[in-house]
Amino acid sequence: MKNKSFFLTIILVLLIVVGTQSLFTLDETETAIITQFGQFVRAIKEPGLHIKIPWIQALHTMDSRVLSADGAPAEFLTRDRKRVLVDYVTRWRVSDYHDFYRRVRVEPVAQARLDEIVGSRLRQEVAGHDFIDLIREDREDLMSRVAEEVRVLAEPLGIEVIDTRIKRTDLPDEVQDSVFARMQAERQRIAMRYRAEGAERGNAIRADADRQATIILAEAYERSESLRGEGDARATEIYAQAYGQDEGFFQFWRRLTTYSHILGEQTTLVMRSDSDLFRFLESSEAQ
Amino acid sequence: MDFEDYKEPGQNVLMFLSKFRRIWWFIPALLIVIWLSTGIYTVGPGEVGVVRQFGKELTVTGPGLRYHIPWPVQHVTVVDIDTVRSTTVGYRFRRDGVTDTVPREALMLTGDENIIKVHLFVQYLVKDPSDFVFRVRDPEIVLHSAAEVALRGVVGSFPIDYTMTEGRAEVQELTRLRLQELLDDYRAGLLIREARILTADPPAQVEDAFHEVVRALEDRERLVEEAEGYREDVVPRARGEAAQILADAMGYRERRILEAQGDAARFLEIYKEYSVAPSVTRERMYLEVIEEVLGIHGAKLIVINPNIGGNVLPLIDLDRFSGLEEGGMR
Repeated sequence: MKNKSFFLTIILVLLIVVGTQSLFTLDETETAIITQFGQFVRAIKEPGLHIKIPWIQALHTMDSRVLSADGAPAEFLTRDRKRVLVDYVTRWRVSDYHDFYRRVRVEPVAQARLDEIVGSRLRQEVAGHDFIDLIREDREDLMSRVAEEVRVLAEPLGIEVIDTRIKRTDLPDEVQDSVFARMQAERQRIAMRYRAEGAERGNAIRADADRQATIILAEAYERSESLRGEGDARATEIYAQAYGQDEGFFQFWRRLTTYSHILGEQTTLVMRSDSDLFRFLESSEAQ
Repeated sequence: MDFEDYKEPGQNVLMFLSKFRRIWWFIPALLIVIWLSTGIYTVGPGEVGVVRQFGKELTVTGPGLRYHIPWPVQHVTVVDIDTVRSTTVGYRFRRDGVTDTVPREALMLTGDENIIKVHLFVQYLVKDPSDFVFRVRDPEIVLHSAAEVALRGVVGSFPIDYTMTEGRAEVQELTRLRLQELLDDYRAGLLIREARILTADPPAQVEDAFHEVVRALEDRERLVEEAEGYREDVVPRARGEAAQILADAMGYRERRILEAQGDAARFLEIYKEYSVAPSVTRERMYLEVIEEVLGIHGAKLIVINPNIGGNVLPLIDLDRFSGLEEGGMR
């Protein structure tokens, strides 16, 4: 009885040992290969419970999730001879762990290889573009082209490149200072333009105001002169109508009025004693 | 076998064995219970449990007290899918609530080769817990760098003034879309709720120049306002002056007409009188005027008899005469 339980225990322990050596789980986030004395036997991609020959076969696992290769920013030269600091990031994952295991083996090596591949491709692309295109339209195109080429180059390594993107395009410090200087100059230009525009519009408004005032006064002059003329005309008409009744009397009366107005203290009249006024001066008899 | 021959102690040993046997079964049973109890887990409100069986995704469980077959068979990861998480690009919150700009992240190039300072605040939540757990390593770190990629890409496609002013909302929206696109490409299982641009300013190095532009803009408005003021002043004044000119002219017209009518009426009155007895009236009027001129106005008169001689006139000292006559007439 004691032996029986002893054997049972031994068998149980053996089973556990063999079990842990032959059974293994592959996580959702992993991919694996089985090797036998260093020789590739098979790849396991499906997560779940799997079996291998204990001791003889070895299990190697690798993260199958999307990983990032985010190296240090590198300095490139653009077609228009500008130096730029480009910080790029590559997202990748292991597509074929067998190839990966043979050619790269571990993740840090893969990161370094990818950085190198992307860096050299990017260097060529950047050299073929002007600086402004890097930050503007061509950026997407350029990166998808680089990603495409890198994808082809990385495939034999068992790596699937999902994308590679420019995270930052920076200017070296001294270039950055010159950009700031240019920005300042540009702002000054805009400020001057605004002020000049202000003067322009202000002057236009003033000139328009003066014009309006001049026109208003001129119109008033026109109207006032015609009113005055109208008054003069009406007066003339009235005079003509009244005086026209007896022109001889008008001439007489008007002259008398004039005499009384123009003859005064400073006047000396010389008259003949035989004039009509003095006809009774020397004789009471009518001459 | 030897023990069983011994009667007395044999009893004791048997008793001990039976006791031992009971403990023997008790310990593994206890271990099994403890092992089984490690399968109890709770999923809080707004959380889900992602259950793996032998590493393979099995199911996703909702909130409540749950159970899974313990390790190494099943394994659960509880993910909060309701809480809105956030990350910042270009700045960090300090513990005292003040924000610190991170120049390396915040300064970026615009489409017109200027440099702008942008602070972006991203809110996101877990959209797909399985993708979140299984597809990408460190999804939240990936999110941060993807946010930088998206933001810089979008800002780089617009001029600085556009991003700083009317284009801000558009830049924000494009950044969100671009970021979501990238995350979907990676199957990160994250949903961007909001990407908000908190700051889009010129960098500190050129801030003054930008303020100067604002001042210039104000100057422009001021110059225009001043000119408007001048117009408000000049035009009504001119209108007032015009009104006065017109009033004067109208007054003149009326005066001329009324005077003419008055003169005419006076003339007609006299004429009426005159036509009754023309010669007498004529005589009277003439003499009245002579009287008025010589008598009231004080004009001098020299009467010369032509029969005495026409040569007298040149001999008369007119100046003296007028002097002599000064008092004489009065």
